[in-house]
This record gives sequence, C-alpha cells and structure tokens, in this order.
Amino acid sequence: MRKSFAFLASAAILPLMLTGIANATDYGKFDGYTLRVKLIGGAQYEPLYAEIAKWETATGAKVEILSRKNHFELDREIKQDIAAGTLDWCVGSNHTSFAPQYGTIYRDLNGVIPAETLAGFDALAIKNSTVDGRLVQLPRHSDISNLFYKKSLFEDQANKDGFKSEFGYELAPPETWDQVKDQAMFFADAPNFYGTQYVGKDEAITGRFYEMLVANGGALFDEDWNPTFNSEAGVMTVQWFKDLYDAKAVPAGVLNYLWDDTGLGFASGTVALNLDWAGWASFFNDPANSKVAGDIGLVRAPKGAGGKRTGWSGSHSFSITETCDNVDAAASFVTFLTDHDQQMVEARKGLLPTRTQVWTDAKKEFADAGNDFLVTVFDTYKVSMSEDAFTPPLIEPWIEVSNEIWPRLQAAILGEMEIKAALDEAAEATRTIMEDAGYL
Amino acid sequence: MRWRAEKHTPYLLLSPAILTILFVVAVPLVFSLYTSLTPYRLTKPDSINQFIGLRNYERLLDDTKFWWAFGRTILFLTIALNLEFLLGLGIALLINRITWGQRTLRTIMMFPMMFSPILVGFQFKFIFNDNIGILNNALQSLGLTDGAIPWLVERDLAMFSIIFAEVWMSTSVFAILLLAGLFAMPKDPLEAAKVDGCTPWQVFRHITLPFIMPFAYIAMTIRSLDVARAYDIVDVMTGGGPAGRTELLWTLIARVGYDNAKMGQANAMAYVSTILSILFTWYFFTKLVAARRYMGGAA
Repeated sequence: MRKSFAFLASAAILPLMLTGIANATDYGKFDGYTLRVKLIGGAQYEPLYAEIAKWETATGAKVEILSRKNHFELDREIKQDIAAGTLDWCVGSNHTSFAPQYGTIYRDLNGVIPAETLAGFDALAIKNSTVDGRLVQLPRHSDISNLFYKKSLFEDQANKDGFKSEFGYELAPPETWDQVKDQAMFFADAPNFYGTQYVGKDEAITGRFYEMLVANGGALFDEDWNPTFNSEAGVMTVQWFKDLYDAKAVPAGVLNYLWDDTGLGFASGTVALNLDWAGWASFFNDPANSKVAGDIGLVRAPKGAGGKRTGWSGSHSFSITETCDNVDAAASFVTFLTDHDQQMVEARKGLLPTRTQVWTDAKKEFADAGNDFLVTVFDTYKVSMSEDAFTPPLIEPWIEVSNEIWPRLQAAILGEMEIKAALDEAAEATRTIMEDAGYL
Repeated sequence: MRWRAEKHTPYLLLSPAILTILFVVAVPLVFSLYTSLTPYRLTKPDSINQFIGLRNYERLLDDTKFWWAFGRTILFLTIALNLEFLLGLGIALLINRITWGQRTLRTIMMFPMMFSPILVGFQFKFIFNDNIGILNNALQSLGLTDGAIPWLVERDLAMFSIIFAEVWMSTSVFAILLLAGLFAMPKDPLEAAKVDGCTPWQVFRHITLPFIMPFAYIAMTIRSLDVARAYDIVDVMTGGGPAGRTELLWTLIARVGYDNAKMGQANAMAYVSTILSILFTWYFFTKLVAARRYMGGAA
C-alpha cells in the first residue's frame, strides 16, 4: 500500500518536475542569431548579466551588448536612436518612469509573452508597466524606499531620556515624517553627525518631494492634469526639507547628493536615519563596506500629515523594440532575464523581485541561512510594495516636468525664493509643458 | 583646352578636402540651424518637418535662465582661461630652469590632461563632498574649520570648485605650449640684457613675455575652442545646480536637448552661444596676430 502510494505520488510529481525542467530550459533555439541589446549598467545590475551566457548556451544565440550605461545616459542614447531612425536593436532596459516618453517604439508584450508567464508576476508591477493599455516592458525588479536607522542610537538610555525631555514623547523608530524631523534635529551634531539626509537634485529630489506631497495629502496634478503641487500640502512638504537644511540636521552639501552620496553617507556611520532603496540593504550590512553593519534597524516609510506613507515606486524593466528582427528570440531573452532563477540572483543582492514566488523563496533562503537582516528587509519591503507603492504620473513629459520642479525646490530650500513663489513658478512652467504636450 | 584643364586642376585636387569639409562641418551646421527653426523633439522625429520660423529664438530672448547661464559661462571662461595661463606660465618658467629630471617632470605634468573629464569630475566631486570628502576632513583634522564647508552648494564655492577642477585638468596645456615657446627662445637677447644690467623682472617683462605671448594666444585660442569639454566635469560635480548656481550653457543645452528631448530649442540656444565661442576665438586670434607683429613675425 505504502509502495503504491509512493508510486502514485511520484507519478503525480514527475510531470510537474518535467514541466519545471522544461520551463527552466525551454527558451527555444536560435542558432547563429545575434541578439542586439542595450542594457542599464552599474554595480547592482551587473550580476544578472553574468547569467546571460546560460541563455546563449541554451538557445545557441549570441547576445551583443551595444550599450551598458547608467539610465540617464541610456535614455539620451535611445532618444538619439529614435531621432536618427537607428532602432536596429531588439531589447532595451527600461523603467516605469522613463517608458511613457518613448511613444510606440516598444512592442506590446501582451501576446508576445505568454499569459501564464505574466501571471507569475506581481499584478501591480505589471499594471505599472502598462502605458496607454500597452504592456511596453517586463518588470525586472522593483524599487521603493523604507527607513533605515542606526539601531544603537535608539537603544541608548541617555538618548531616550534626552529626547523625551526635549520633545515630550518616547524615542522610538519613527512612524511619521514629523517624528523623523524631531529625531533628525535631536541626533544632529554637524559636521560630525547628521540626523538624516535626502537626495537633492535631478529627478531624485522631485521624486522625494512628490511622495511626501502625496503623503501630506497633496497631488502633483488634478484629474484634468492641472498642476496642483503649489498647494498648502506642497508648501508644507518643501518646508520639511528646508527646516532640516536650515537646522543643519542634514549634510550641508545635500542639495548636490544623489543615491550614491546618501548610500555611502549612511554606510559611513555619520547619519542616524536614511530613507533608501532595498538595493542598498546588503551593502549597509556588509562590514567590509559599512560602519553600521550589524547596527541597522528598518521600518516602513513613515506617514505624512495626510495619514499616508511615502511610497514613490517604480520598476526596472526590459522592453522589446517594434523594429526587432527576431521577436521570439527577444521574448525568450527577456523571459530568461526575469525568470525565477535570475530574480533569485538579484534578490540575494537585496533587489526586490517582481515575481511573487521569488519573494517567498528568497525569504526562505535567507531564513535558512540565518540571515535575519535580509529576512527583515524582505518582510518590510513586501508590505510597502503591496500597500504603499505608487508611481509618478506615467506621462510622456514627466522628466521635463521634473526638470522644472527640482531647481525651484533647491531655490526654496536654499532660501533664494519663498517656498510658495518657487512652487507657483514651477507650476506655471509645468502648465506650459502640459499645454505643449496636449494634456491641457 | 589644355589651358582650361590646368586652370581646373587645383580645384580638382582640392575637391576631396572641400567635399569632406562640406559633409563633416557644413552639412551638420546647416542641418542644426534648420532644426533650430522647428519644434524638433528627439522622441517625435516628424516634428522636424514643422517650420516655426524664429519662435525658438524669440523664446530665448525672454528666457532669464538662458541669459544667466550665458553670463555665467563668460565668467567661467574668463576666470578659468586666465588662471590656466598664469599657472601654466609659472610652471613652464620653473620647469625651464630645471637641468636634471626635466623630461620626467614634463611627462608628470601632462598627467591631468590624460584623464577623461568625467573621471576628473568624479574625483573632485568626492574630494569636495561636504560630509565624506577628503578636503573637509583634512581641514577639520587640521583644526582649520569646525564646520562642514558646502563646497558644491554655496554660491561662490560651487563656482570655485568647478573652476578648480577645470584648471587642474587643463593648466598643463598652457604649460606645455609655453614651455615650447621658452625652448624656442634665442639666448642672445637674454644674455645681452644681463650684460646691460637688466633686473630679472625687466628681462622677463620686456624680453621673455613678449616672445612667448604668441604661444600663449595659440593656447588661449585652442582652449577657448575645446573648453566645452568641461561640460562633463560640471555635469558630474554639480549638474549645473544647486538652483542653477553653476548652470553653464553646456549643461543647460544638454538638459533641454536630451533630457527634455527638445532639440530644436537646444539648437537655438547652441547657435546663440556659438556667438560666444566666435567672440573669444576672434579676440585671441587678433591678439595672436598683434603679438606676432610686435615680435616681427607675420603681419
């Protein structure tokens, strides 16, 4: 009886195993074909590219990487390709924030990628990858920020007592952005130590402003695409950035900071609280790179005055051009790069998977290996991805709009302009862009 | 018939060069001039067919951001080129006096110009970083300051920082050309001046300096043409910010043309800014001719 049960069980499992093997290996055959691709470059993206050789071996095709640049440079190159009519490549790295600019150069992947494959992805990531009803990109990994903090500061009794006597409530990992401000000012001791920091230029600060604006109950646009960020919530949001800057609770050069600066700053052990992407988690906890390794706490991004948490989010992705000469090979390639095993490779670096199963499997792997920190990271980010995430407006002129907003934010934070005047000026410039683009 | 063929021979022989210049220089120039008269967007190639006359140029007249960047670029060029000249002159004079190890020093002196401007930008971005940069850490460790100096944010310091990086990278161009001038200088006038009892300053002021000035103006002309390479430095170090404090024409044009994809408008900006290049180059060229005339060279 036991034997026959075992036989039945194996008979039932065998097809599943075979299917699994087939899924893992069946990427088609494209002998002698060379797939031309343009990929985003950078330390956290490279480990995935080391896996490309496996796809080449499985399919007999070769991959020619024409570009491997950061996303801003790649964006410029793609725009030049559109202008010059030289879209003679098949697969390009993309991002939810950038995709709407590119019009129809990328193929709708509905129908190109089988529905059962798409079903393995997180539904929100697929929704955010869709522009004007077209699935123009296959999400690779997602981004959202949560709050890292230096744990020992919150455990120190002198800090607890000092904070309570100064602010009248207990020192604990912050639940609101007002608490972050209080704590940042309390911990700051410039130039040796800072309460927090923020990215201060380019689309980076526009994004941070945008998510806090939403958390404070505001919005960039109304439903008819009129700019509305010069509202009371907008002023309150910029005031938060300015107060921290004026109080020297953030580094003096913060308005020139981008992601590397904030990441390296927190790892240097000179910052108490740091809102950052999951991709930094492993770096922060690596004693070879970080002075805060082993001393890191993590909480979900705090709430704004509107009771909502900040959750600016997006996904890195892959797209296939309309001009691609071998769509099957391109579809096979992007499917491979986003399959379970490849997403596990990225998840081990702390990047957030877009396949639901990988969340479970990666977390289990971390737990089995006793890596409690990465388990916490995945637990925290999973909740924020499902409950807090929202993208910037998926509109063609988003980057142009951003380029009008961020210099005015800087001017307001530096005190060169009144906050309301700066936001009014940015809103006026944004209105012109939206009119030119046909939204108004 | 034969006479006619001989008359045309020079044109025939020059035609490959003329055609090359036409395709490499004239066609792109005319094309970009045409695009500046259109609302051309990189992401919408068809927009190149829509002629809007001088609308882009009219917009520029009211664009305060553009004119601030224009003025700032003149300031940047004036300070950077003059500093590079003075420092290059000093280095060339010092190296000229060295009798041992001069070749090695000349080679070392050329290292900065071998770096790509992007690398120079990153190098100085991290040197000038207010929190983890080595400059602030050194100043604090030496007790010279107890605060974090925001080198890349504070208005004057940010301009100083990008000029410093540019001067660091390009001073050796001046030094090399001026050193070549010093090597080519005849010794007789110097010895005659010493015999006549001239002071070292008089020798430098009235003999050495006039002799090497043509070399200085050649260097100035070359540098005024390729100084736009500093775009990468500025882009990496400050991106033109914060709040436009270090915005130069190159960063502004690149943002409008590529990030905003408005190539028509960017080309209009580029054409107006070309006036700046022409003015600088013309100025240095006339100074070069005057200096050569003073030295008895070509009129």
